[in-house]
This record gives sequence, C-alpha cells and structure tokens, in this order.
Amino acid sequence: MDYGLTQEQEQLREEVRRFAENEIAPVADEYDREEKYPAEIVEKAAEMGLTGAHFPMEYGGVGYSTLDMALVTEELFAVDPGIGLCVTSAGFGAEAIMEFGTEEQKEEYLPPIAEGEAVMGAAISEPHAGSDVSSLSTRAEKDGDEWVVNGSKMWITNGSIGDYFVVMCETDPDVGDRYTGFSQLLIERDRDGFESEKITGKLGIRASDTAELRFDDVRVPEENLVGQRGMGFPQLMQFFDETRTMVAAQAVGIAKGANERALEYAEEREQFGRPISEFQAIRHKLSEMHTRTEAARQLTYKSAWSVDNAEDDLTMLASMAKEFASDVATDAADEAVQIHGGAGFVDDFDVERLYRDAKITQIYEGTTEIQKNIVARELLDEGY
Amino acid sequence: MKVLVTVKEVAAVEDDFEIDGLSIDDRYLEYDLNEWDDYAVEAAVQIAEAADEDVEVVAATIGPERSEETIRMALAKGADRAVRVWDDAIADQTLLDVNAKASVFEQVVAEEEPDLVLTGVQAADDALGATGVALANRVGYQWAAVVNDLDYAAGDDVATVRRELEGGVEEITEVDLPAVLSIQTGINEPRYASLRGIRQAQQKEIAPHDLSDLGLDAETVDGALELTDMYEPESESDATIFEGGAEETATELANVLRDKGVVGE
Ligand SMILES: Cc1cc2nc3c(=O)[nH]c(=O)nc-3n(C[C@H](O)[C@H](O)[C@H](O)COP(=O)(O)OP(=O)(O)OC[C@H]3O[C@@H](n4cnc5c(N)ncnc54)[C@H](O)[C@@H]3O)c2cc1C
Repeated sequence: MDYGLTQEQEQLREEVRRFAENEIAPVADEYDREEKYPAEIVEKAAEMGLTGAHFPMEYGGVGYSTLDMALVTEELFAVDPGIGLCVTSAGFGAEAIMEFGTEEQKEEYLPPIAEGEAVMGAAISEPHAGSDVSSLSTRAEKDGDEWVVNGSKMWITNGSIGDYFVVMCETDPDVGDRYTGFSQLLIERDRDGFESEKITGKLGIRASDTAELRFDDVRVPEENLVGQRGMGFPQLMQFFDETRTMVAAQAVGIAKGANERALEYAEEREQFGRPISEFQAIRHKLSEMHTRTEAARQLTYKSAWSVDNAEDDLTMLASMAKEFASDVATDAADEAVQIHGGAGFVDDFDVERLYRDAKITQIYEGTTEIQKNIVARELLDEGY
Repeated sequence: MKVLVTVKEVAAVEDDFEIDGLSIDDRYLEYDLNEWDDYAVEAAVQIAEAADEDVEVVAATIGPERSEETIRMALAKGADRAVRVWDDAIADQTLLDVNAKASVFEQVVAEEEPDLVLTGVQAADDALGATGVALANRVGYQWAAVVNDLDYAAGDDVATVRRELEGGVEEITEVDLPAVLSIQTGINEPRYASLRGIRQAQQKEIAPHDLSDLGLDAETVDGALELTDMYEPESESDATIFEGGAEETATELANVLRDKGVVGE
C-alpha cells in the first residue's frame, strides 16, 4: 500500500491549479451570475489536454488513470465548480464509448473531445424518470438499418451546446425483465427532429449548461448503437461506477475550496481584539472540516483506484464515496459561510457560490438516498 | 541547431514567515520555476516548433536534487532534456555569485555547444541580473540583454531583437549567432504544461553533473560575495483617494504623477 502521489501526479495537480487560478478564478463570478457557458475557457482547457486526458493515446488522450482524473477534478472544483464542471463534463458519456463502443465510434467521437472541437453529454434522466431509471420511456424503434427515436430527456448537462449524446433508450419494451429492454444510442445534435431547450435559474453550477432534449422521429444509423442491444442498463451501471467516483472527486474539490477560504478568512478577520481563528468554536469547525475532507478524499481515491485495479467492491465504494463526499462538501461549504459571517452571505466572497454549488453533488448521478440504497443492496447481495 | 536555456528553481516566502539567521525554514517556502525562465523556455520552444529543421532545446540548471521537480516543468513545456549541476562545494556557498554561475555555465556551453543561449533577465530570488551577460563574455558569444521581442527562425545567422533600455526607451538591434539573449517577461505568453507534456516529461533525461564532471574544482565557485545578514525591509505605502468627478480627479492624479516624477512636465 502506497499513500504518496507520484511526482508526475504532484506536477499535474500544480499545473491544473495554476490554470484554474489564472484562467477560471478571475471570471468565475461573472459566468455564475450570467449563467453563461465558458466556451473560450473550455477551449483553453482542451489545449492543455484537460478534456480527454483519460482517453487512450490513440484517441487524442494521455491515458490518465481514474485517480489522475480525480486529482484534476479536485483542483478545478476547488477553484470553481461551475466552470470546473464545464471542463470535466466536456467528455461526459465518453466512458461508455471507451468501454463499449466500436473501433469506428472511438475514432469518430473521442478525438474531437480531446481536441476541444466537440462537447458531449450523457442523457439518461427524463421528466418522469429520475431515480427510477428503469421507468424511462424514450423509445428507439428499429426501421430497416436505422433507429427512430422519440421522447425527451431532462436535466442534461451540456444539453444545449453539446455536439452528441449517449442516450439511454428503450429498445425492447416487450422483454419480461425490467432491466433488459434498454440500449445506449449515440445521437448527434444535427439530426432532424433533435431539439434542446436550456434550463435556467439553477441554484448552483450556473456556468454549466443544462437542458431538456426532445427527439421527434430522430433517425440515426444502426451503427450508432453503443455496446449491445438490450444491455443498456448493465452498461449504465458500470458507467456510473466511474462517473460517481468523479462526482465524489468534485465534492472533495468543493470541500477543499471551502476549507481553504475558511482558513484564510479565519486568520484575517479580527473580533474581540484577535483573529477569530483563536476562538475554540472556530478552531473546531476548521479542524472538523479538514478532517472530514481528508476522509472523503481517501474514500474517493480508493474508489478511483478500484476503477482501474479492483472491480469487486467498486459499485459499493463508488456509492459510498459519492454519498459521503457530497455530504462533506455541503457541510464544509455551509461552515465556510458561517465562518465568514455576514460577508459570506453576499457574493463578495467565493464561499457564497460554493455553498450554492455544493448541493448538486448530493443530487446528480443518483441522489444521496439512492446511493445509500445501493450500498445496502450491495451489502445484502441483492443485485439491482 | 541547439538552444540552451538556463533555468532556476526559486523560492518564494509565504505571507507569514520567520527568518532564522541566514535562512528561512523550508516550511515557509514555495518553490517554483523562476518567472523569467518560463518566458525563456517558451521562446526556445517556439523556435523549435516553428522550425523546419531539428532544434534541440536543452535546459541547464544549477540546483539540488529537489529542484528536479521544478526543472521537469520546463521539460513538460517542451524542452527535450536537462542538465543539472550540483556539488557540495556549491551547497556550501551562502550566496553563489555571478562569476561562479558563469564559470559553471561556461563549461556546460563548452560541452553542449549551443547556437543560442537564452537566460532569464534575472532570478526572482537573488535578482543579480547579470548571469546571462557574464556568460556571454566568458564564452565569447554575442549578447543582448533584456530582450522583450525576438525575431528569429532556426538556422538563421542573425537574430533581430528588441531590448528594453532605461527610462522606457527601447532599441531594436541585430545580434549575430552564436549569442546569449537574456529574456524579459512579457516577450510571449508562456504556455501551461499540457497533460501530455507532463507525462512525457517523466521519461526525459535530467543529467546530473558535479563540478569535477565539468572539469572544475571547488574553488571555482568561491565567490567574492557572502551573505552576512537577512532581514525584512520596512515597507511603507501610502494611498491617496481622489473623490469627485472624472474631470477633477484626473487633474489631481496628473499633479501627483508629475510631482513624483512619473511623467514629465
Ligand atoms: C444540474 C443538473 C445536471 C444534471 N445532469 C444530468 C445529465 O447530464 N444526465 C442525466 O441523465 N441526468 C442529469 N441530471 C439529472 C439527475 O441525475 C437527477 O435529477 C437525479 O437522478 C434525481 O432524479 P429526479 O430529479 O427525477 O428526482 P426524483 O427521482 O424524483 O427524486 C426526488 C426525491 O425522492 C427521493 N427518492 C426517489 N426514489 C427513492 C427511493 N427509492 N428511496 C428513497 N428516496 C427516493 C430522491 O432521493 C429525492 O430526494 C442532472 C440534474 C441536475 C439538477
């Protein structure tokens, strides 16, 4: 067991942090307030290789491990979760292509993400199917050598700006079993019948684009099937093992950002003739925030390590990490605002934004309640 | 062709720190690549990237083993390999003076035979600002100091440079190769090390040399300078806030700038 990061990982972390401090921090506030997608920043991030670093070399990536990606995610989110998500989600859905896609799909859809020429998304949730994925009703029917897709998807990250999406569809409604009638299809924005509508008014991560997608007789060739027909559900569960680990890393980043800002403010702000960091109540908060963040980080790193090295406990670890780290993030952001007092309640300080941003980590890619259900189900050996 | 870039790992203190005799404890220090060298590396890498011929960019540093982590960032940004010189005799110096540095780099230049040497104008820590020119003198290369614009394509015999002189005056001049140019900040926009670059840099060579490897003895680095004291200078600042409309405040500001000698009459 080795607890240290390699020199390469340290360098990676420092350079990503430098990028985030220089390119993201100065404008984070503006993009948040205006709910604006930071296309230029995502492009610069792509130049640096941040948008597809975990893709294999031959598809434009660097072959970075899940742990490396967790480190990158943590640093970006410590500076700004909104723009951080725009960068890390540029290839959301690519995990499915890497794992289950054909050679042609990998060649066509991965390099543009790494090069910053395209952005993608994963469309699972629907207006009536959130936690209960198996109730989704977007329908894909085979017509000759094409799929014809009808339905709508809700809350889709990169929905109004993305170039293509891995869409979870029902392809075989007549099979008896609840989980075997689904398939993942690649659907490009420029197909006839594809429409999207941006969702505004979000509590946090407001720079990130979220939209509703509608498919009205959208036709895609049969080659757009990702993986196997009817295996969409198990493929999705494997996809989630990876992406949930990344949400855990996002949460660790948010907690880290909140902690750093809280510590700095506590040392500066004076009341009763001394820095508030001298009051035990504040010291204990700082101590607890940092301790819990470190615990969340270790759980997240273990989950990330498991993605690449030990699949057995992965599903449970990913859910544990996501559930625990997202709680730590929302608590840390809450305490960071508390430590700032009135100053934390307005947008002069970043902690106000972090407080709003933290909440999403308890919701997307499976709510906290669902993660707990998964952990219990795994403990009791119940399958899904 | 070959471009040699001298690079240095420099330490910066955190906001709160304590001086202990002639040094500052490591826990108050953050190490980074000298800012000027970042621009010099970028200038070298840009020459290499734009070239039709093969251009090798070699980074050279005087620094302890710890500095490899920092020097590797120059490799991650595109330098091909590095040479690192260190020796107990160097570690024993309280302050390595310009002559000592020039002696070390003189041997590195003799070994590498670069066509072009790029240095930073100065290092952010000791700010001696003379290493580049002193080196040029030693190796008999042409030189230009404080270069803030460089027009040079690999293979050319002449580089056109713009130099910063005193008092905001600039000079455009030509320098014959082989040459040493000391590079000023702002000459270009240093890139971030790409993730691919960081990965590749792990495999690149950082060759360690001690003084004897370079044919030098310990006395070479005994300098005329000695660090005798370290203290934090008193800093003073005063702020004037002008209130009122733009018209009035602009006049007041102009008066202050004139009084302080920032602008002429
Ligand atoms: C900003 C944002 C970005 C998103 N991005 C994407 C995306 O890119 N792609 C995508 O597909 N989706 C995305 N989502 C959707 C997200 O994954 C869902 O919102 C989430 O899974 C919850 O589904 P729901 O909103 O329908 O809530 P519901 O499922 O209606 O849940 C409501 C409440 O009931 C609880 N609940 C539901 N079922 C159970 C149960 N069995 N036991 C206990 N409690 C239960 C939930 O925990 C929650 O508290 C995004 C959402 C947001 C807000």
